[in-house]
Amino acid sequence: MSIRTIQVHLGIGACLVALFLILYGIPNWVSSPSNVRKIILSPLFWPYIIAGLTGLVGLGLIVFGRNPEDDDSPANEIIEDPRAGIARLAAMAVLMMITFWALPRIGMVWAAMGAFAALAFLVKTRHPKIALACAVFVPLVLYAFFAHVAGVAIPQGNYVRLP
Amino acid sequence: MSLIDSIMAGFALVGNFNAFLSLAIGIVIGVVGGAIPGISATMAVALALPFTFPMQPINGILLLLGVYKGGIFGGSIPAILIKTPGTPASSATILDGHPMAERGEAGRALGMALWASCTADLISNLSLILFAGWLASFALNFGPPEFFALMLFSLTIIAGVSGDSLLRGALSALLGLLLATIGLDLVYGTNRFTFGDPNLMGGLNFIAVLIGLFAIPEVINMVWHPTGHIGKVQSLGSKWVTFADYRRSFKSIVRGSFIGVFLGSIPGIGAAPAAFLSYSEARRKSPNKANFGKGEIEGVAASEAGNNGVAGATLIPLLALGVPGDVITAIIIGAFMVHGLQPGPMMFVMNVDIIYGLFIGLILSSGLLLIVGSLAIRGFRPVADIPKRILMPGVLVLCIYGVFAVNNNIFDVGVMFAMGWVGFVMSRYHIPAAPFLIAFILGPLLEDNFRQAMLMSGGSPEILLRGPITWFFWALTTITVIAISRGTLNKARETG
Repeated sequence: MSIRTIQVHLGIGACLVALFLILYGIPNWVSSPSNVRKIILSPLFWPYIIAGLTGLVGLGLIVFGRNPEDDDSPANEIIEDPRAGIARLAAMAVLMMITFWALPRIGMVWAAMGAFAALAFLVKTRHPKIALACAVFVPLVLYAFFAHVAGVAIPQGNYVRLP
Repeated sequence: MSLIDSIMAGFALVGNFNAFLSLAIGIVIGVVGGAIPGISATMAVALALPFTFPMQPINGILLLLGVYKGGIFGGSIPAILIKTPGTPASSATILDGHPMAERGEAGRALGMALWASCTADLISNLSLILFAGWLASFALNFGPPEFFALMLFSLTIIAGVSGDSLLRGALSALLGLLLATIGLDLVYGTNRFTFGDPNLMGGLNFIAVLIGLFAIPEVINMVWHPTGHIGKVQSLGSKWVTFADYRRSFKSIVRGSFIGVFLGSIPGIGAAPAAFLSYSEARRKSPNKANFGKGEIEGVAASEAGNNGVAGATLIPLLALGVPGDVITAIIIGAFMVHGLQPGPMMFVMNVDIIYGLFIGLILSSGLLLIVGSLAIRGFRPVADIPKRILMPGVLVLCIYGVFAVNNNIFDVGVMFAMGWVGFVMSRYHIPAAPFLIAFILGPLLEDNFRQAMLMSGGSPEILLRGPITWFFWALTTITVIAISRGTLNKARETG
């Protein structure tokens, strides 16, 4: 994707977001008391201003974003196998969801150990043994510091509890 | 008591090994705490507070001030090495510090961060001593209209950190402003984009957004392209900061220090806006303007000078008026009270020895920071040499612990993950993250002060131009906007 395409995509996206906010988002998700005398004091005022400005910037990106100096060369570094890259990103999203779900259930230490090991293998580390050792060691050291030095109540989960 | 008597009384209090040791220990704790993302200077000061209760008042307060100053510098270490700001104040340091680390000049960037921090710290401390009374009385004249005008001017910083496209920078800032509206309305207490979730009622946690926006996209980027870093040097490097570097950046350091002093003396502003304003001003004035954001050492110097310039100045309203300038000084005021001291004008009469003792200790702290900071940079050296595919999982785990520790809330970890994806998409679409962050910090201040001003005047906008302070900031804003518009038009004309 070239910078020109990016600018146009962003412009269209910003206009759509602004329209969505003005027509649906703000009326439904921002509540305001009925007795507000002046719109300028209303909780709705600021979100509407931001949404309006977003629309204007979006239009600006569409109109002025086509810089004649920008060529059509790709704006981002091209990777060898984009499909594998997308698969890895999907795996990362799943990893984050599982970690978030697991934090209160199995405890932060065990969830972090799993996240460390899984991520190290997802990025194809050249040092798998060191990665596994770090996956065990780093969360334990951080637990010791945060729980026993900083006094933070690190979630312990329902199964194995640490001292 | 004459000035000489007061100074001698101060020396009598701090001229002993215990006071010196307290200050040194405080700086070490601060540097380590600041260097761990999620701990932050605030948390480090809060954690150290109970340990000061059995100490002599002056030693306890010096220890906390050491933690504060060390913490603000310590935040720059992970900001430069792993693009994860240890404290919100060091987020501006990432902009040029991390690109320098990627070029194999992490040592040079950290060295400059340390020199700039110590210089700014010294200037800030001297300003505290010289201008405490005068600046505090000036800051007392700030009401909501003045704050609004100041915040509006501060938002023009966005132009300085927008990179190639002002419009993309503006879009980023608007996204930041929009996310800053999440939570309960501060005037009426009604819900804004909370979807009935109590976790959202207090707004998005700043640290979660900050770490999510800067650190997690690096992790996701590594997942997208695991071998992308190969060939890029990421080490402390043999290049160290030179006196020539320091001399070249000296103007920016002094300017940044005074920006920090000015903003720090106004309660409620904090170090992060000062760092960004200092960075923006340095970029505006620098002959190497084009290198800013790509690893310009002057950018690191300006950011660090801005945030460290605040450290001494936040004590101006604290000591002179008893008003804490930020969260950290609010914690420190607790230490004063625990020891039976009441900061404010009467303290200059009743406990003048402690006031001068603190002044002497603060001057000493700048020198100690230089020593401890130099050791800390070498201590954190291994971080720069860790293979990136081992480092990134470590960063992820550190971020999870750090973000959770701020509020003991797992929801914040989710916010960090979500913001990580937002940051990743932004980087793919070449939307700069810095304007988002600045707007996210300044947005609530801007809106609150605007609405408070409107409430004061019954909705009349005339209050926004009520006196010389507002006129001054409106004039500065107008001049800056004209300069930005002219610059953009000239650039457009040059490109045809």
